[in-house]
Amino acid sequence: MPPLNYFVVESPDSVGREAYERIAADVLQDLDLVKVIDRLHIFVDPKVPIFAAAGLLRHMPRAIRVGDFANVNSGEKEIVLDIGDETYLAPLLRVLWARYGKENVDQPDRFTVVLPAGLAGEEELDRLVVADPGESLHKDVIYALQYIAPEGFKVRRQYIRDEKFYYVASEDTLPGDIVEKVVAPLFTKMGVTL
Amino acid sequence: MTTLVPVTFKGGVYRHDEIMDLIDDLGGYIVQKHVMAQDVVLQSFVPRDDIELIREIAKPLAGTVTEAPLVGTEIAVVSPSLEIHHLPHTSCDLAEYLRRSGAKTNMIGLSRGFGKRIANLNDEERDVINEHDLAVYTLGNFEECIRQKFPVLRQGIHVPIVVTGAPDRETLVRIVDPPVEGYVGGVGRIMHRFKRPEELVKLDELVDEVSRTLDARRDALARDPLSVFPPRLMAIIEERIHEISMLTHPTPVTAQMEGLRVKLPYDPYAPAIRSLEVVDGITIGDIADVTPSRMRNYILIRIKPFSETRILV
Repeated sequence: MPPLNYFVVESPDSVGREAYERIAADVLQDLDLVKVIDRLHIFVDPKVPIFAAAGLLRHMPRAIRVGDFANVNSGEKEIVLDIGDETYLAPLLRVLWARYGKENVDQPDRFTVVLPAGLAGEEELDRLVVADPGESLHKDVIYALQYIAPEGFKVRRQYIRDEKFYYVASEDTLPGDIVEKVVAPLFTKMGVTL
Repeated sequence: MTTLVPVTFKGGVYRHDEIMDLIDDLGGYIVQKHVMAQDVVLQSFVPRDDIELIREIAKPLAGTVTEAPLVGTEIAVVSPSLEIHHLPHTSCDLAEYLRRSGAKTNMIGLSRGFGKRIANLNDEERDVINEHDLAVYTLGNFEECIRQKFPVLRQGIHVPIVVTGAPDRETLVRIVDPPVEGYVGGVGRIMHRFKRPEELVKLDELVDEVSRTLDARRDALARDPLSVFPPRLMAIIEERIHEISMLTHPTPVTAQMEGLRVKLPYDPYAPAIRSLEVVDGITIGDIADVTPSRMRNYILIRIKPFSETRILV
């Protein structure tokens, strides 16, 4: 089982409960989310029918800025970005092109990007946000829950903001107060208020 | 009359044609031949008394002969949908294991098999399933869902059904009403390959349930035998209709318990197949129904029983 700080699956059907414990563990492992999710509480009742999952993420990775992977050296005629790690090179170029125009962005080799002097301040470039790993993480978490939930449960409500997330799904229309009635108690069980 | 039993021969490519000739000379039939790199797998029917002889001859070639209860059967593995929830692990592993026991399996993913309220089966799916010798339904984790969905998913299916699901066998027996021919509990929705010992045991259990069900059907068939043994008809068709050798399907002619599926288009080839002489002026049309299959535009041959034709070849 993944090293989550809190992991509970609740269901009136004991066989189904065990199966869901294993399914959730497999899915989180497959999608490499074990390190990302801190607490998770799942409740499934096929008779209602309802699937509700509530959880907490660990600290979200912060946005990646130019300064994190490149040195910005401003000279008299040009600003040279000395790339240390190529991982974010593609998004960096996209951002620079969009901001300063393709004609102003020159890349003489793999590890160097050159801009004309005076186009941007050193400080501004250093703090320029290139990518946000948290963005795809949110999608991954929701995808994982879609994957874990029983297949026929197509009507769903999902939420993910900061560290908290929930996912409620059913075959039937979800009542308007489902979050207060079903999801909030799950958070309470984990010692958190929604 | 010699009894033909289903066996699998596994060995190297080197001199495997000797085994094929031997099976042929002994009056047996090869239903399926797989060549995978250096290995050959022959699914065949051989006379019971000659198994030892084949073993003896296969020994210097490092070949093994094992019993394969499902040779000569075509089985449908029905999964409620084609979503990641049902595929690939459970359905594919079950199908693959049945294949190892000799069966030809087809996987059928229903377009609307999910959800308690909306689950249903369309007529094409129903007809395709009915063209098989047996259907294995791979159902999910919850007792409640199986109880509600299964009656809909079995509507109009007249071939024997084996149900798998996470509730134990006893629970499945209790909730699946009217009863089906086989149950395997402890196999629900699994998001990983079958690898733990208790999971592998379930696969063996499935093969046992399926072979038990098919044996019962074989016994019933023995009381009123078919006018011709399907693998024999298969050999005749493969020999006379040379287009079959040009098909790229792994099994261009698939043997079933009571007939054959020929993977040639129905309209141009059905008359030729119908008029093919089996022996002494008896044509296939005399002893079998040659009908269009619901699977693509294939041909389905259903062999008539002796009681109907008064012919036994």
